[in-house]
Amino acid sequence: MLIDIKNLHVTVDGTEIIKGLNLSIKEGEVHAIMGPNGSGKSTLAQTLAGRADYEVTGGSITYLGQDLLAMGPDERARAGLFLSFQYPVEIPGVSNVYLLKAALNARRRAAGEAEVDAVAFMRIVKEKAALLELDQQFLSRGVNEGFSGGEKKRNEIFQMAVLEPRFAVLDETDSGLDIDALKVVAKGVNAQRDGNRSFLMITHYQRLLDYVQPDYVHVLAGGRIIKSGDKSLAVELEASGYDGLLAAANG
Amino acid sequence: MNSATSTATEHLQTLWRAQPPPATKWLLAMQREAIDRFVHVGFPTTRQESWKYTDVSKLALLLPDWLTNQVAYSPALARNPLDIQDAIHLVFVDGIFQPTLSSGDLPGGMLVGNLDQLAQSHGEVIESRLGQLSGTMDTAFAALNTAFATDCTVLILPAGTELTRPVYIEHFSGSESNSSHPRVLVELGSQSKATLIEHYSGGTATLVNSVAELRIGSGARLNYYRLQELHPEAWHTGLQYLCLHDNASVHSMTIDIGAATSRSELYARLEGSGATLEAQGLLLGNGTQHIDSRITVEHAAPHTESHTQYRAILGDKSRGVFNGRILVQQPAQKTNAALANRNLLLNRGAEINTKPELEIYADDVKCAHGSTTGQLDENALFYLLSRGIDQQAARNMLITAFASELLTNIDVPAVAERTREALASFRLNGA
Repeated sequence: MLIDIKNLHVTVDGTEIIKGLNLSIKEGEVHAIMGPNGSGKSTLAQTLAGRADYEVTGGSITYLGQDLLAMGPDERARAGLFLSFQYPVEIPGVSNVYLLKAALNARRRAAGEAEVDAVAFMRIVKEKAALLELDQQFLSRGVNEGFSGGEKKRNEIFQMAVLEPRFAVLDETDSGLDIDALKVVAKGVNAQRDGNRSFLMITHYQRLLDYVQPDYVHVLAGGRIIKSGDKSLAVELEASGYDGLLAAANG
Repeated sequence: MNSATSTATEHLQTLWRAQPPPATKWLLAMQREAIDRFVHVGFPTTRQESWKYTDVSKLALLLPDWLTNQVAYSPALARNPLDIQDAIHLVFVDGIFQPTLSSGDLPGGMLVGNLDQLAQSHGEVIESRLGQLSGTMDTAFAALNTAFATDCTVLILPAGTELTRPVYIEHFSGSESNSSHPRVLVELGSQSKATLIEHYSGGTATLVNSVAELRIGSGARLNYYRLQELHPEAWHTGLQYLCLHDNASVHSMTIDIGAATSRSELYARLEGSGATLEAQGLLLGNGTQHIDSRITVEHAAPHTESHTQYRAILGDKSRGVFNGRILVQQPAQKTNAALANRNLLLNRGAEINTKPELEIYADDVKCAHGSTTGQLDENALFYLLSRGIDQQAARNMLITAFASELLTNIDVPAVAERTREALASFRLNGA
């Protein structure tokens, strides 16, 4: 088991958002979580990454046999967890390439590996930038500084491609992308699917799932997973919406 | 002035009288006038508006002892000079020029060494210039500098000369419980160009009280960097007076990282039409440091332009003081002036007192000023953490990022590098 979430309860600003969520992901699996606005999708993503102001009031998360909730956000990342942010942060004054090198070396040191040398690093970076169709110039710019919405999302997947996580959480990486950008992002994600790496994709739309085919689809509503299935569930949702499901769940 | 500091003031006058007088008559007269002025104005007190936040009463009591301690350079204290390529490197230890530690041939127009000796060999060159600019500032510490300065750097650059080698003045404090009064006098001839770096380092419980007078001729250009990284027990007071003639341009960058109490003041007078000034400052405070940095930009002629940007980064229980004043005189029509101050407080114990001021007597001008103070961006911090970067490294990255806009403007890499090192190794001791 890669990650095992049991009866998770999360409170944000005094309001309980996640109310007893269970989810298990095995190595190599791709899971998609869909759900209406306010159902707790992004809260789940931020909680997995370790955001301090998201208070876990109950339940457990076991990641590779470790208690994930006892780890700081940086420890989680060094243990191979990656979050593609819904709203990537702009950090003027810290260049993309500087951040990536520091991040990559932090992971390597934690794994007892040698730091990457400058030549090897630039080779990795150039290769992955080409995959995500990102201009070389952007590497020396501030992190996400002045990037368009689409560029920010591509940059997230680019970072993922360089860092090669064991478990990637993609929080609405598809939203705000036109179809061409979506295809590029999907290509970046698919290139990372190797049978060992696992993904949790949070999305509003089935569209992304046409390009990155999930093994499982879950519907999150009211802070709980109310239905799970294979990718046909996404097609069903796209056709009939959440209303029927929600009525059934509440009834 | 309380009685203790007034006793100290009188004591300093007695000490001045007791020291061997310079052989040069005009220098003696200048020193006498300075010590009289010092006694007249006395040590500043916190009741004065411009010294409201910076208390020098403790220094006043220590200074008489320090002034009599002219301890020789102790090689036990290691210097850490900047590695500046191809520089004219002048080393002063406790205010005394050290030819054997210095390197690089002096260009024409440059004189370095004992002020009294220079005044005898090159009297007319120095007499007509020394104190011309600083003398207009009626400050106690500038007067003390004039009264007690022993050695001096003089650069009178002939018109049309481009000095490609940077002039690097290393003011090193090598011993304890003493004071030094570094003095720099620069005059750039028209259409000339130079780069000057003043670097203050070393010291323990010492006062380094500097004065620089910089006159920039028509169409001349000066890049001026000032890096103060004295020992955390040291006191620093500094005055830099810049005067810009027609179409002169100056980039000034002042970086205060060290000292227990540091007070630096830049007065820039844009005297000639078309003069432009880009003035930047970085204050980095930690522990219980007190860093006071102020700038006055006086627009005295039409079509002058100034861009001032100061930033402070303060941690622990440190305190920063910034006062930025733009003064636009009546003849200075078509002035374009902007002043921006941004401050980063790293925890609740840190404090900044900031005051941007505009004083405008001309009616056709463009002036802007603003000041903002904030904390580290929590979203940015979380983003870096989520990439596997640890708390300390992530904080240092954001601290460096905050200063990076200023550092990218420094064209002497060693100055930027030393500052980046200080930012990257910045550690909070906890509030």
